Amino acid sequence: MKKEWLVFFVCFLFIQGLLFSQKMPSIELGAKDYPDFSRVFLESSNPLSLSIEKSNSYIMVRVRADHPFLINKQAFQSSRVKSVEWGRGSDYYIFTIKLDNKDFVHQHSISQDSSVVLIDIRPLSMDYENNNDIPNNTPPDSNISTSISREQELKTIVIDPGHGGLETGAEGRFGTNEKTITLEIALKLKKIIERNLPYRVQLTREEDVDVSLDRRAAIANNYKALVFISIHANGSYRKMAHGSETFFMSLNATDEEIRKLAYMENNSTELDSIKGDNADDIKLILWDMAQSSYIRQSSILAEKIQTKLNSLSGTLNRGVKQAPFKVLTGVACPAVLVETAFISNPEEEKKLTTNEFQNSIARAIYLGLAEFLE
Amino acid sequence: MEYKKLILLSVLFGLLIILLVLFFMGQGKEKTPEIASSDLLDKGISGQQEMETKPFVLFFLSEEDSWLHKEEREISIGTTLEHQIERIIEELIRGSEKGLLSPIPTETKIRGIYITKKGVVYVDFSPEFQKDHSSGSSAEISSIFSIVNSIAYNFQSIKKVFILINGTEQETLAGHIDLRRPFLPRYELIVD
Repeated sequence: MKKEWLVFFVCFLFIQGLLFSQKMPSIELGAKDYPDFSRVFLESSNPLSLSIEKSNSYIMVRVRADHPFLINKQAFQSSRVKSVEWGRGSDYYIFTIKLDNKDFVHQHSISQDSSVVLIDIRPLSMDYENNNDIPNNTPPDSNISTSISREQELKTIVIDPGHGGLETGAEGRFGTNEKTITLEIALKLKKIIERNLPYRVQLTREEDVDVSLDRRAAIANNYKALVFISIHANGSYRKMAHGSETFFMSLNATDEEIRKLAYMENNSTELDSIKGDNADDIKLILWDMAQSSYIRQSSILAEKIQTKLNSLSGTLNRGVKQAPFKVLTGVACPAVLVETAFISNPEEEKKLTTNEFQNSIARAIYLGLAEFLE
Repeated sequence: MEYKKLILLSVLFGLLIILLVLFFMGQGKEKTPEIASSDLLDKGISGQQEMETKPFVLFFLSEEDSWLHKEEREISIGTTLEHQIERIIEELIRGSEKGLLSPIPTETKIRGIYITKKGVVYVDFSPEFQKDHSSGSSAEISSIFSIVNSIAYNFQSIKKVFILINGTEQETLAGHIDLRRPFLPRYELIVD
C-alpha cells in the first residue's frame, strides 16, 4: 500500500511541476540584423515594466519581476549583438546586451499591452558617413546623432483587425465571433512581420474595442503607413459558401475626394513647396498619379497575398476582387482587405478558431507582403 | 335562339378581349421607358394595368454556386417607372419561386423610390434591411447587386443606383460596403 501511495505522490508532484512551469511567466529573447540596424526583442507572456540604459558597449535592460521568469533565448542572427546575459535580483531581472562596440544609438518601442519590447540599435559611425550636412571638423554632438536616428525611424505597416467591441461582425453557428478571430490573426501577423521585416507594425486595435471605420483609416494616415491590411472573416447567406479572397478598393468620384484630402495632408510639405501659376494643376496631376499608383499597388499586393493564401491555407481560391469597402476609402497608401475564410460555414468556422489555421493565414499574408515590399 | 345569340355574343366578346390583350402585349418587350415617368401615363395605360403583367428578370443567389442567377417572373405593370421599380424589388424581397435564395431580409419594406433626370435611382429601404441583414461582405455584395442588377437589367436607362436606409445614405450596409456611393450594375456576377 505504501509504495503505491509514494508513486502516486511523486506523479502528483511531477504533474504539479509541469503545470507550474506552464503557468510561469516567460520571456523570449532574440536578436536579428538588418541592413541599417540590429534589433533585439523581448517577448513576454505578461506585461513588462522596464527601463533601458546604455553603458559603453552594453545595453542594460532592467525588468521588474516579482516572480521568477522562464527565460527562453533564441539563436541570435546578429553580428553586432555579441551576447545577452541575465541575472536576477530581489524583484528584478537585468539583461545585459553586449554589442560589438560602443559607437551606437538605440531606441526602443513597446507594444500597447507592454508584453513585447523591440530595441533597435544603430551604429553611430554610419550616421556620420551618410550625412553630408555635418562638416568634418565638428566634434560629435549627441543632439545631432539623436535627430539623425529619428529621421531614419522605421516605417510602419498598419494591420486592421475587423470589427470589435459592440460590433461583433459575423457570428458562426458555434458562436465564434468574427471580431475575436480577426484580432487573433492580426496579433500573429504582427509578430511574424516584426520578427522578420525591418518595419514596425501598428494595429488599429489591440483589444476588443469599437473603432470607427474612419478612425482606422486615420490611424494609417497618421502613421504614414506603407501599407494597410484589413483582416476579416466572411459571411454569406449561402451556408455552403467557403474559401478565401482578397479585395482592393474600387474608386469613384466620392472616394476621390476623401483620398485626395488624405494625400494632401500626408504630403503637405512636398506639395506646399510647389509654387507658381500651375501649382494647382500640378498638385492635381500628382494626386492622380498617386491615386492610380495606390490602386495599382493595392492590386499587386492583393495578388501576392491571395497567391500565398492559395498555397498555404488549404482554402478555396475565391480570387482577387474589387469592392467599395468603407474601411479602405480614405487610406492614402496601398490598401487591401483579406476575407480569410467563411465564419458562416461551420467547417471553416472551426478551422478559423484553430492556431494552426490562423498561423497559416498569418504566414501567407506575411509572405505576400514581404514579396510586395522587396 | 336566345341561347345561340348569347353564346355567339360571349364568344365574340371573348375574342375581342383576347385581341385587346394580344394587342397590348404586342407593344414589344419594352426595356427602355423614358425617364420622364409621365410617358407611361401618356400611352393611355390606366386603371387596367393593375391586372396586367409583364415578364421581368430578377436576380437571386443559388446554394449551388456563388453567382447570381436569372429568374423570370410576371410582374404587374406600374403606372410610373418608380412604381415599376418598386414592384420589382418587392418581388425580390418576396423571394424566389424556383428554389433560389434571396439575401434581402424578408421584413424589409420599401419606403420610396426616387429617380433623377440623369438616370440615377435612389431606393429608400426600411431599417430592417440593415438591422436584419446577414453579416459578412459576401452577404452584403449579394444583396446589393441582386437589387442593382435587377433594376439595371430591366430598365436600361437606369445608370446608377443609390441605396438609402431610412431616408439617408449610411456609412455601410452591415459593416462592410460603403453606401455613400452609387452602384453600377455588375453583370460579371451573373451566370446562367
